[in-house]
Amino acid sequence: MKVSYRWLNELVDFTLSPQALADLLTSRGLEVEELEGQGKGLDKVVSALILEKGKHPDSDRLSLCSVDVGAKEPLQIICGATNHQTGDKVVAALVGAELPNGMKIGKGKIRGVESFGMLCSESELGLAKESEGIIILPKETPVGKSIAEVLGRDDTILTLKVYANQGHYLSHYGVAREIASALGVKAKRPLSNLGGKALSLDGKGSSISVVLSAGEKAPRFFGCEVAGVKVGPSPAWLVKKLESVGSRSINNVVDATNLVLLELGHPVHAYDAEKISGKKIGVRFSNEAEKLPLLDGTEIILSGKELVIEDGAHRAIGLAGVMGGGNSEVSVETKTVFLECAEFDSILVRKAKTKFGKMTDAATRFERGVDPTGLKQVMERLAMLVIEVAGGQIIGSVQAETSPVKARPAIEMPVDYVRDFIGIDVSPADVTKALESLDCAVVKSGEILSVTPPSYRLDLNIRQDLSEEVARTVGYDRIPSTIPQLSSQPIAKAFDAKGAEQILIERAKDAMVRSGLCEALNYGFTSRTWLGEFGLEGAVKVQNPMSEEMEWMVPSLIPGLVGNALHHYRRHFGSETPVVRLFELRPTFTLSGATVTDFETGITENWKISFAMSGPRFAQALRAESGDVDFSDGKAVLESFLDQMGAKGIRFIPLHASRNGTHPTAKMLHPGQAIEVLSGNQTLGHFGLLHPGISKKLKVKANLFVCELDWGILQKMSRAASQARSFKPWSEFPPMERDFAILVDEKVTADQITAVLLKAGKPLVKSARVFDVYRGTQVAPGKTSIAARVLLQDDTRSLQESEAESISASIIAALKKEFGAELR
Amino acid sequence: MESLISKINAIGTKTLEDIATASDLAGLEIFRVSVLGKKGSLSEVLKGLGSVGSDDRPKIGAAANDVKAKIEAALEEKKSILESRDLEARLANERIDVSLPSRKLHRGALHPITQTTRKMVEVFSRLGFDLLTGPEIETDYFCFEAVNIPADHPARDQQDTFFMGPGLVLRTQTTAIQTRAMRGNEWPIRILCPGAVYRKDNDATHSPMFHQLEGLWIDKKVKMSDLKGTLEFFAKEVFGAATKIRLRPSYFSFVEPGAEVDVSCFRCGGKDAACKVCKGSGWLEILGSGMVHPKLLELAGYDPNEVSGFAFGIGIDRVAMILHDIPDLRYMFEGDQRFLSQF
Repeated sequence: MKVSYRWLNELVDFTLSPQALADLLTSRGLEVEELEGQGKGLDKVVSALILEKGKHPDSDRLSLCSVDVGAKEPLQIICGATNHQTGDKVVAALVGAELPNGMKIGKGKIRGVESFGMLCSESELGLAKESEGIIILPKETPVGKSIAEVLGRDDTILTLKVYANQGHYLSHYGVAREIASALGVKAKRPLSNLGGKALSLDGKGSSISVVLSAGEKAPRFFGCEVAGVKVGPSPAWLVKKLESVGSRSINNVVDATNLVLLELGHPVHAYDAEKISGKKIGVRFSNEAEKLPLLDGTEIILSGKELVIEDGAHRAIGLAGVMGGGNSEVSVETKTVFLECAEFDSILVRKAKTKFGKMTDAATRFERGVDPTGLKQVMERLAMLVIEVAGGQIIGSVQAETSPVKARPAIEMPVDYVRDFIGIDVSPADVTKALESLDCAVVKSGEILSVTPPSYRLDLNIRQDLSEEVARTVGYDRIPSTIPQLSSQPIAKAFDAKGAEQILIERAKDAMVRSGLCEALNYGFTSRTWLGEFGLEGAVKVQNPMSEEMEWMVPSLIPGLVGNALHHYRRHFGSETPVVRLFELRPTFTLSGATVTDFETGITENWKISFAMSGPRFAQALRAESGDVDFSDGKAVLESFLDQMGAKGIRFIPLHASRNGTHPTAKMLHPGQAIEVLSGNQTLGHFGLLHPGISKKLKVKANLFVCELDWGILQKMSRAASQARSFKPWSEFPPMERDFAILVDEKVTADQITAVLLKAGKPLVKSARVFDVYRGTQVAPGKTSIAARVLLQDDTRSLQESEAESISASIIAALKKEFGAELR
Repeated sequence: MESLISKINAIGTKTLEDIATASDLAGLEIFRVSVLGKKGSLSEVLKGLGSVGSDDRPKIGAAANDVKAKIEAALEEKKSILESRDLEARLANERIDVSLPSRKLHRGALHPITQTTRKMVEVFSRLGFDLLTGPEIETDYFCFEAVNIPADHPARDQQDTFFMGPGLVLRTQTTAIQTRAMRGNEWPIRILCPGAVYRKDNDATHSPMFHQLEGLWIDKKVKMSDLKGTLEFFAKEVFGAATKIRLRPSYFSFVEPGAEVDVSCFRCGGKDAACKVCKGSGWLEILGSGMVHPKLLELAGYDPNEVSGFAFGIGIDRVAMILHDIPDLRYMFEGDQRFLSQF
């Protein structure tokens, strides 16, 4: 909300500078977000006299003026406008000025002739959006005066951040009250004097009667009928006041209502009395499908749930608390006005405002609540203003209420409550003084303070509210710093479990970092199209997305990481493959099937840990030593990660042999260069080369290896493994090595061979692995030459050569039997 | 006898000359064998010692030993010279270009948001906080109702919400975790809740997804000064010992009193009007806080007359941007390797 410094100063006496005022308000919880002098950009801009308008020697369009700017010597200024003459008073921006539109004035040469400033137009000074020609000031304007002063732009406008519970600040008088409280003075309520004496309306004599038929949703109404008004332009002072805080002038009557809203914070409305048929006005719930034309030219269709103002013909003539109707609008023909000051239910106003998208000043105030006791006074001020700016006289007034204003119960609190709750050193007397400065009535009886807040403070209801008032009055800076006491009460078990999970998450991230991967963070949502590129479909949709790019909650982290890789590829320069080393650990979203309740979302947030790799194996290396990462590098990262997480009993099977081939991740991978990661019979995840079909479509420039693991399964395995590991002694007896070079069918896998080696070599074979593979001209087509090594060892004794020989023999027999292997 | 001694001496002189001219270890060994070996010249001479009278033997023996010792010393000396010369030559020969690029490993890195979260969590943990997390898609109840923002309350305008269907939202604040924590758990509560939150906003300083660290402490006799002390400790630990904090009255529906907390600019301390970090104000707005509203305590089944508490919410992304000098929030979520590998 914008407020005017000068306007505030009319309502409360202070000598603070605008900045000091802003600091004071901010320190009291009414944050000043912006402070802008109206004269901003008008430094070094002065009133001036054109002594002589001559022609530019080298241009027909430009004029060469000698200008008196109040200095000793006249200035030579070149001007492109045509609406000025010798002897005109104009506005000159001098060298060094920085105009509101951002233009910087310097000494310049235009077509070879020097110019020492600029004659300004309204748009250049930010006075109008568009303008023609330069400003011609009145003849009597003195020369050499600051233009801010000449134009009366000497106010400062404060932009306040007003919170949802601070309806009482939404007016100049409301802010003035806060200033007054801080300075220990009284705010001056704007006068309602008519003919030299205070106007007092008695709620009688209006020819229009009021019927309230919405019960407590529209509990109060105060009306006033003013006849003989002359609707027309507002006087300059009124226009200036409204415009200073960004409100547009419409006509004198409407401007008076807007002034009252900005001044007192209670929205009011003026109807053309002749357009209220049947001499009756009322508030009721709308009818379903009822139409209402509004002041802004739109027509809305009501639902039966909004409050409307109606006339005697039961015709809706206003959307209560939000906007008046176009069918009862005040116009230049209006002779008699009927003024309304009412109270409407804040929730109904908010619903109507939201439903129809009418974010009006009135709705902003009603939805926060207005002072229910203030209607009569507000009306008196409004009636006085209307008569002052539009003439006429009061016919009479009318008031109605469905029930009297409920008395606010006193808030009780122990005298030391504020001291104990805030920890600030205040005596009961300090508390009383602070609350009284905010118009609270305080009664002390024994050890209890009974506090009755003023009727305009709808936000003060409990002792905690009062303690904030005291604390901010005394100053938050006076609250000391203490460290809370730890109690010996144990912490609920639920928190321990979650904490342990978080520790595992951090451990997993560290493990990925140790493998040279960088952590990426992608939004939880993406587009349907992007998911479609991976054969995926989202299950959870954002109902009001910012764009299609942010519409579906992600079912997998891989599309995000591939997107990151592409982002990188597109920006990559040079002949090497771009480096991508990314991982992410975040939730994915699916429907759980459970019903949504207050406590159940019906959505499963399944955390995944995923990585993506491409590009050179090393961050730098000579060409002969480097090369791009391949399947083995990625698999190493996966194995090392699983090992660090303590996951045991993991099996890898080729993706083409997986029984779970329809798994969404499986479909994203090259079937011949990918594995399914199994824990028991449960799919823990997948790793492999991104499917060439996807790579081609998305223009992925490199071999991109991706992996996605189910964090939920993994973290359970890790947690089991996170118990302290027990020491296992190693054998003191030397092992024996035996190598086997065999020729087998190329379809035989290393896993199959090592399985045979381990089985046939029981119980002395401790480990077996393939250490060389050859396919090519030296072996028959369709065959692979494989070299494998086993390690024989006994924990209790040295092995005999003969034992090794006999095991070798059984291994060879088994290899022949299983694979028809030839020994090489 | 004389002739024998002179023969020995001649061998000695000749050998010493030869040793001096030896140019490598192999040549030196040849000289050694040719003189001192079993069939060496000196050995051959000494074989003739049998024919010499016993009176002369000691003299000849002494002369022979003397020459032998000199030769051995000379050999040893020469050997050491040649060895060190050879070593020098080898070292010179084995010189490599140590400035060639190494086979450097890629350095992995945690996201600056993770690093910042860890740093803050570590600081608060020392005061006794535990960690707790919650779902990102949250019920309207936990995200709004239970934090004292009923439907149709103007406070809902403070946060532009993504709706996920009836009764569901993407959580707009980690405060939602607070209410989950309090529901069904006994006090005392001392929890930190980090996590992603979502609001409809997107520019250099706002992202539709960002991160908060929520803190909640509920126990007997918790005071607002405890909140201030806790946050001051945090600010000094994270931004440096000279850091000050400033509380300003503010409004959040779930606390009363509420306070916006500013941290003094760790870069300029408020002394640089052109400071990039604080834009010259001297203060950084990074968190909101307050005393837990009694309605929340009641909803959890706690008695507001028995316990009280404080809560705070810190913008993690903002702190990360400040600590790492990151000029645009959007970098955080682009997954650019050049960005992520810096931290």
